[in-house]
Amino acid sequence: MLRDIIKKEILDNITSPKFVFTFLLCAVLILLSVYTGVTNYGAEQKEYTAALALNRKNLEAQPNYQSLAYPGIKINKPPQVLGAVVNGIEEAVGRVAPVNLAADANLIDSKYSSNPVFAVFGPLDLMFIVKIVLSLFAILFTYDAIVGEKEKGTLKLALSNDVPRDRLILGKAIGGYISLLIPLLIPLILSLLILIIAPNLALSRGDWARLLLVFLMFFLYLSVFFSLGLFVSARTTRSSTSFLVLLFVWVVFVMVIPKVAVLTAAQVEPIPSVHEITAKKDAFFQQVQQEGQKGFREWSQKNSADAAKDPKGYQDKLKKFIEDYQQELTSKIDANNAAIERDYQMKKKSQQNLAVNLSRISPASALSFGSMTMARTGVDEFDRFLASVRAYKPIYTKWLNSKMTQSINFQTGEMGKIKLDDMPQHRLEPDSLSKSLARTLPDFVVMIVMIIVFFVGAYVSFLRYDVR
Amino acid sequence: MLETINLTKVYEDGQLAVDGLTLKVEPGEIFCMFGANGAGKTTTINLLLNFIPPTSGTALIEGIDVVKDPLKAKRHVSFVSENVTLYGNFTALQNLDYFSRLAGKRTLTKKDYAEVLDRVGLQTEAFDRRLKTFSKGMRQKLGIAIALVKDAPNVLLDEPTSGLDPQSGREFLEILLQMRDQGKSVFMSTHDIFRAKLIADRVGFMRKGKMVMMKTRKELEGEDLTELYIQYMEEQPAAAGA
Repeated sequence: MLRDIIKKEILDNITSPKFVFTFLLCAVLILLSVYTGVTNYGAEQKEYTAALALNRKNLEAQPNYQSLAYPGIKINKPPQVLGAVVNGIEEAVGRVAPVNLAADANLIDSKYSSNPVFAVFGPLDLMFIVKIVLSLFAILFTYDAIVGEKEKGTLKLALSNDVPRDRLILGKAIGGYISLLIPLLIPLILSLLILIIAPNLALSRGDWARLLLVFLMFFLYLSVFFSLGLFVSARTTRSSTSFLVLLFVWVVFVMVIPKVAVLTAAQVEPIPSVHEITAKKDAFFQQVQQEGQKGFREWSQKNSADAAKDPKGYQDKLKKFIEDYQQELTSKIDANNAAIERDYQMKKKSQQNLAVNLSRISPASALSFGSMTMARTGVDEFDRFLASVRAYKPIYTKWLNSKMTQSINFQTGEMGKIKLDDMPQHRLEPDSLSKSLARTLPDFVVMIVMIIVFFVGAYVSFLRYDVR
Repeated sequence: MLETINLTKVYEDGQLAVDGLTLKVEPGEIFCMFGANGAGKTTTINLLLNFIPPTSGTALIEGIDVVKDPLKAKRHVSFVSENVTLYGNFTALQNLDYFSRLAGKRTLTKKDYAEVLDRVGLQTEAFDRRLKTFSKGMRQKLGIAIALVKDAPNVLLDEPTSGLDPQSGREFLEILLQMRDQGKSVFMSTHDIFRAKLIADRVGFMRKGKMVMMKTRKELEGEDLTELYIQYMEEQPAAAGA
């Protein structure tokens, strides 16, 4: 009997115009988004490789180490291969982090800043399609699942037989879900083929595992709206009412909660603005600069006698002093900036966590955070990259300070040519799958709990449903 | 056999829909229930199918209490509803096949279905047509076919002749008479006095949930049923006549 109900549900759905419409739209949107994602990734990868080569060339073309101090070097953020599927905040945050002696490392030159039109519409990635379009389809497939049968009179007719209600709702749920998956699965399989055959896309085993987990998240997300649809359909007496209620809940889940959560977090845990932070850092930098000039003057006065007596010894002493003193001042600036930054980051993290946890009431937020973490295109990855650049900055400045003082000839004023062989390189260890999984666990849990709650709600409501 | 014993239904809003109904429809009998809209005819059917629980009293199908063992009771009853639209994307055969399977008839062939559809007067060319192209009468015929396929010993019909043209109505009456001849208990709620008069073994009049009059075919001889209907619907409820 269960098989008959499932079969009927699938047949009823796939012979309906809404199925044809859903299938065509899904196929076009999913394939288009993955194709665009793959093409974009290819272009970004090329751009990244070209930027690395250009950076190297620029460094080598510098006449001396002093010119490496300002504006410094550039660290490019590598594009993420799964950004082809889940673009995340890749286009909104910068792609380059300049590292120099003075300024604190930050990402600049985002795709949106270079072409603001992109920011108007956002990326059309697979995650967006699942989050917005397919969740609406899940509602479209379920809003009349129960109440529609009541309106058609088929529910009464079915239940005039010895059909247990639990089996009927189970059959409808399974059949309905399969019907929803068909228009999704076929384009998704084709998308996987695109990912496999795309020439500029090399997915590692870990990437495939991440991709599968992202897909699992997509299915869970759609299941949330599917079971919600069943639930509302089993709680209403008119399909038009059911559709309106579901549309309202969808707007709240997808549009309202994520934005309200961010605004609430900003009110509850305010953080200083970026300008305030920059002003603080600049003020300290100027203070240290003045201190430095004063210190240098004092040292010069104290050792001026040696310059005439022993010019060679004086020069070595001066070199040593400058190297140590510059290192000391830079460390001071770095320590102060690090303290300000640490405090700022702590406050920001706390606000971020509050916003994330508040918005997780919405499955749309859980999907966004979870899939971005899995695809390494979310806030976590951005923070990790920035942290790695900030950790790299003192290493780089130490190396540069030492090179600058060693290469300068104070008598002739000549500066030595730069050699980049021993320049420390920025490294970003890839985030492990287990770490990502641990971070996305709350998102999985939120969605699974919602599915259970809504489905049990639908089940219990249907057992008591007035079929008249 | 269909039976109700002092069956009463009071809705949550306090409306008394069925008031102490005691009725027995014997095998091989057609019972036609008359009453204005809201008199309690459909509620009686809903109670017999356990779609709603009774406030008090008992409803029995083949002696099985429909509240205590609803699934077992439903095995012995077919149901034809008024205005059932069925599945518009399915063909007549697909609709019939699905509901037959729900009724436990899994071995029927396309030929069996065709015979039943033919019996209810559905044109052969319509068998494989999607129901969304069907008229109300054609859908009603399919609804009757679904009840026929189940072949249960009891049949509940809720205003089944609405939407049927005269020819189809006549064919439907023949089907009901065949059912009676097969020994089935038929309970039909209807406004169609003309057709009911032709086939009913007994008729009952309901008013505000109460059975206000019941007459056998013999008692109806020489009486104008239309006149009786109007008279009983207008009068204050009296004790049920025999």
